[in-house]
Amino acid sequence: MTSEPILSVIDVTKRFTVGQRVVTAVDGVSFDVAEGECLAVVGESGSGKSTIANMILGLYPPSEGSLIFRGRDLPERRTLELRRQIQLVQQNPLSSLNPRRSIAASLRLALDVHGYGAPAERPGIIEDLLAEVGLDPHLARRSPAGLSGGQRQRVAIARALACRSDLIVLDEPTSALDVIVQARVLRLLEELRRAHGLTYIFITHDLSVVRNVADRVAVFQRGKLIEFAATARIFEDPGTEYTRSLISAIPVVSEEEAALRDSLARAGVP
Amino acid sequence: MTAQDTLDIQNLRLSFRNWSGSVEVLHGIDLRIARGERVALVGESGSGKSVTARIVLGTMQETPGARVSGRILFGGRDLDAMSRTERRAVRGTAMSMIFQDPTTALNPVYRIGTLVHEVLKRREPAITAEEARRRGGDILREVSIDDPERVLDSFAFQLSGGMNQRVMIAMSLINEPQLLLADEPGTALDVTVQAQTLKLMRDLVESHGTSVLFISHNLGVVREFADRIYVIYRGRIVERGPTAAIFEDPRHPYTRALLAAIPRLTGGGIPEIAERSDSFLAPMVAHEEVMG
Ligand SMILES: Nc1ncnc2c1ncn2[C@@H]1O[C@H](COP(=O)(O)OP(=O)(O)OP(=O)(O)O)[C@@H](O)[C@H]1O
Ligand SMILES: Nc1ncnc2c1ncn2[C@@H]1O[C@H](COP(=O)(O)OP(=O)(O)OP(=O)(O)O)[C@@H](O)[C@H]1O
Ligand SMILES: [Mg+2]
Ligand SMILES: [Mg+2]
Repeated sequence: MTSEPILSVIDVTKRFTVGQRVVTAVDGVSFDVAEGECLAVVGESGSGKSTIANMILGLYPPSEGSLIFRGRDLPERRTLELRRQIQLVQQNPLSSLNPRRSIAASLRLALDVHGYGAPAERPGIIEDLLAEVGLDPHLARRSPAGLSGGQRQRVAIARALACRSDLIVLDEPTSALDVIVQARVLRLLEELRRAHGLTYIFITHDLSVVRNVADRVAVFQRGKLIEFAATARIFEDPGTEYTRSLISAIPVVSEEEAALRDSLARAGVP
Repeated sequence: MTAQDTLDIQNLRLSFRNWSGSVEVLHGIDLRIARGERVALVGESGSGKSVTARIVLGTMQETPGARVSGRILFGGRDLDAMSRTERRAVRGTAMSMIFQDPTTALNPVYRIGTLVHEVLKRREPAITAEEARRRGGDILREVSIDDPERVLDSFAFQLSGGMNQRVMIAMSLINEPQLLLADEPGTALDVTVQAQTLKLMRDLVESHGTSVLFISHNLGVVREFADRIYVIYRGRIVERGPTAAIFEDPRHPYTRALLAAIPRLTGGGIPEIAERSDSFLAPMVAHEEVMG
């Protein structure tokens, strides 16, 4: 990790108008993402995690505050280069894949737009990517409707990895995968991060995954960043009642983990 | 035994026709759920869990290119023997489904309040908009949505992933179905909200004898929620038994590999995965059923 953050989120607020109401989805949030780290973002459902992801991607601008990528303000209209450098795996893969395009065509388009690889090599790159996320190459001829939830999710991951971006925002990237495929995908992400110095912002509700993959954790509640610390610290010495309540509700599969969970949830309680 | 089963699936097969011929994705599934029983279907991504649920619901049969065979008894009645109108009437009332992909399952051109009203009308055609709104608000509060008024006035795209998921859950429970098909109901929920929604489902099971087919990759949740488990791999059931037996004494090689791949709260990194093995295709293992 270098000292210069790859991304700084500074005093960001995002409001939406729904009818007569104003919804403050993100409320004065600031944090840095270090180059090369895996930062987990966890917290309440509806607390603004996906909204932050969408702003980092430039899908819409913040109402207030700024986003600094490698020392520069992220412009509202992204250059092609910025679009290559920052990728998002959306929470709902179906809405991010064109329903009328085959999987192969969607992946090919991503490579073509960013001019990645020589044109003649691109079909081979696509085949390798699909194999890396454990998908049979013959699925590539289908449209998204002909795939299972987890197959679609892996297509979205493959597409985000296609251009070897620097910063990848993963919004619930493995929630539709069985744990065997999940382990394979998480190990692949880890390998790529080490080999190419990638940075991940990993949004998830799965705290057992967080414990095993994240360097640091940001905890959100009601649009606010309420806790930000190294992973071990978050689990062993949670700083807020909310984080503690999350830990105490983690579903586990063994008595050993249940005992650990219960002792973690009690830690620091006066 | 069969008489009181809410759902009895026998030798279910599904294939898809395409330009190069036909691919079979379900190779003869047998699965039954007693009244008031919570049964989990877990296994490989792409193995056929969602299509099984959609066949039971009756929507898969309407997909072009899909061919279904086998028998499905719902409360003892053969679903194939019902007319199309009858089947449609069952959907959303006696039988309801939480879809894996709520953002696309919720009609994007209507506000949530309108969708809730439509669902309620399926059981009570005369229900007024105000009454529907009141009942909708109540059930949304029960799935931990603390500003139900705003949610009822919103379109799906204005809500977070987990809020849409809770709207789906609320809509599937509101008519108190006999059979709930819950396809990955908690993927976008934080663990505290997830615990609350599971409790709500459990309450419905207890108060109404609702039967649940619970599809999930989250084995921790399955362990807490399910009475029995079916493990599916590539369109075949490979192991079935009571929840405790599956977790404490997994016997099929695929089940063992699956359990070994769970990331643990105790740490140790993401488990290393053995390559796919031929042993995963071994015959099914059935554990003794505990009766009563
Ligand atoms: N386009 C929009 N219009 C109006 N409100 C919105 C819009 N997008 C998000 N919101 C609101 O902003 C809040 C935060 O939503 P967001 O999707 O960021 O939550 P989240 O933390 O990703 O939750 P989840 O874990 O459930 O996915 C929610 O109250 C949501 O309803
Ligand atoms: N319309 C279709 N045409 C062809 N194949 C299809 C179609 N729909 C689904 N399939 C295939 O059927 C198989 C079963 O799909 P299903 O959606 O039931 O998987 P699943 O077990 O729910 O997986 P996941 O855990 O990833 O959601 C998959 O391999 C999928 O690719
Ligand atoms: Mg989200
Ligand atoms: Mg599925």
